[in-house]
Amino acid sequence: MRFEQPSLRSALAERVIGEGVVLLALLAWWALARGLPEFILPGPVAVARRLVELLATPEFLWHVFTSTWRVLVSIAAALLIGGGLAFLAHGVPWLEGVIDERIKPVLNSFPSIGWAILAAIWFEPGDFGVIFVEVAILIPFCLINIAEGLRNIDRELMEMGRSFTRRRARILWRLTLPLLVPYGLTATRIAYGIAWKIALVAELLGAPSGIGYLMLKAQIAADSTTFLATCFAIVLMFVVGERLVIVPLERRFARR
Amino acid sequence: MVETAITLAPPSRPGGLVARKLAAHLFTLLFLAAWEAASFVAPSYLLPSPVQVAQRLWIFVTSWRDLGHLGSSLFHVAAAIAISFAIGSLLALIPYYVPVLRLAIERRIGPFLNSFSAIGWTLLSIMWFGVSPLTVVFAISAVLVPFALVNMSAGLANLDPETIEMAESFTRRRARMFLLVIVPSLYPFIFATLRIMFGVAWKVTLTAELFGGNTGLGYMINLARQEFDTATIFAAIVLIIGFVHGMDRYVLAPLQASVSRHYAL
Repeated sequence: MRFEQPSLRSALAERVIGEGVVLLALLAWWALARGLPEFILPGPVAVARRLVELLATPEFLWHVFTSTWRVLVSIAAALLIGGGLAFLAHGVPWLEGVIDERIKPVLNSFPSIGWAILAAIWFEPGDFGVIFVEVAILIPFCLINIAEGLRNIDRELMEMGRSFTRRRARILWRLTLPLLVPYGLTATRIAYGIAWKIALVAELLGAPSGIGYLMLKAQIAADSTTFLATCFAIVLMFVVGERLVIVPLERRFARR
Repeated sequence: MVETAITLAPPSRPGGLVARKLAAHLFTLLFLAAWEAASFVAPSYLLPSPVQVAQRLWIFVTSWRDLGHLGSSLFHVAAAIAISFAIGSLLALIPYYVPVLRLAIERRIGPFLNSFSAIGWTLLSIMWFGVSPLTVVFAISAVLVPFALVNMSAGLANLDPETIEMAESFTRRRARMFLLVIVPSLYPFIFATLRIMFGVAWKVTLTAELFGGNTGLGYMINLARQEFDTATIFAAIVLIIGFVHGMDRYVLAPLQASVSRHYAL
């Protein structure tokens, strides 16, 4: 591809068309919704109004908060377990086959709904079941990324580290972990995206609270307006979390 | 945003191969033994024994009704991959040919599709199309489109400018250049994309079928769940793991490797 210096005018045109597409989509939605009953497709205005209403109710915010902390705890736990497995495979050679050939493929192709149903059978509905499912879904993504990072560690650097100290903990803390940070961040980013997209399944089947539970309730009551508003609330949550947490983290560690 | 970067196969380390194989097999045996032991303690609706699951699996592969469910799941996956691959590639190609639309597609449409939850699409399509195969295929396709879009955009961004320039000196016909130069240089990305989509599709398919399908493995799991027939759930999960992993390992990976070698980047 040839990169031409983008002139101000073409950049402006790009911007205008970009926002125009959004506007056009909203208009098309509005036009389509006018001819349809509300339980099939409510108009954008109704959904936006409901979204604002929902964001002003403490109960809804509490559900959002519940889902959010479950997602965050799950990501942390999945990073720890996935990272631990990757370290084991890296450090203990005879375990490599066990982890790469057995644990990874099984976790990787385990259907997410399978975890959700098993958790619904095994545990009481509640936080633990949901977090169990989300962690189980997220582990393979963390494992794969951190293993990739460990594989790409510069051998020369490790050798240099060993020539300075023989204490393994020191090498791990000062060398291995900082080198792994970019991969850990990628893992976090992927896990974050997947968690909001797929892990909410757990709340549909086995939770008396959270956004998934709200969505199911709205869907059963054929309350499309609330349902769509909840969907957009998730999009909003996702974008806000990414802008406020993930992007600054990446920027901070990319500079080093 | 979900990143779906393409990673290359790791270089295998020789030495201690036998020991590692042995450890892996030992682990499998140990796992099965632990499962068997746990199933003695737990009631069978909580945890069926491996033998029960194996028996159920045998019934599964010999019953036409059960195989029919597997077949319709396969159909859902294949149809959704085809549809979303076509839409995603088209979306990726638009900014390549019409650069002024880049922001609209890569910064507006892409992120939106990427952050809309799979459950949202599933429940929404149930409201629109009712419980039917169309619902399932629609929901899976909607989830897969961003994966195709991101990967194919990466492929287009990695096209070799020298090759394109050479092609431009041979022909000015866009269609000819597209078919003879651009598409072949995209082959490795196309295969990698299809492989990623195959993995994700299976994760989503069961969810979509469970909520909005009247056929397929997800539907079967849902029935089994209502009857507390945990052995069937386990059998279906084992079947899916085997199938997905087998396809990926023995069909898609060699195919991708041979394509990458052929059109070496």
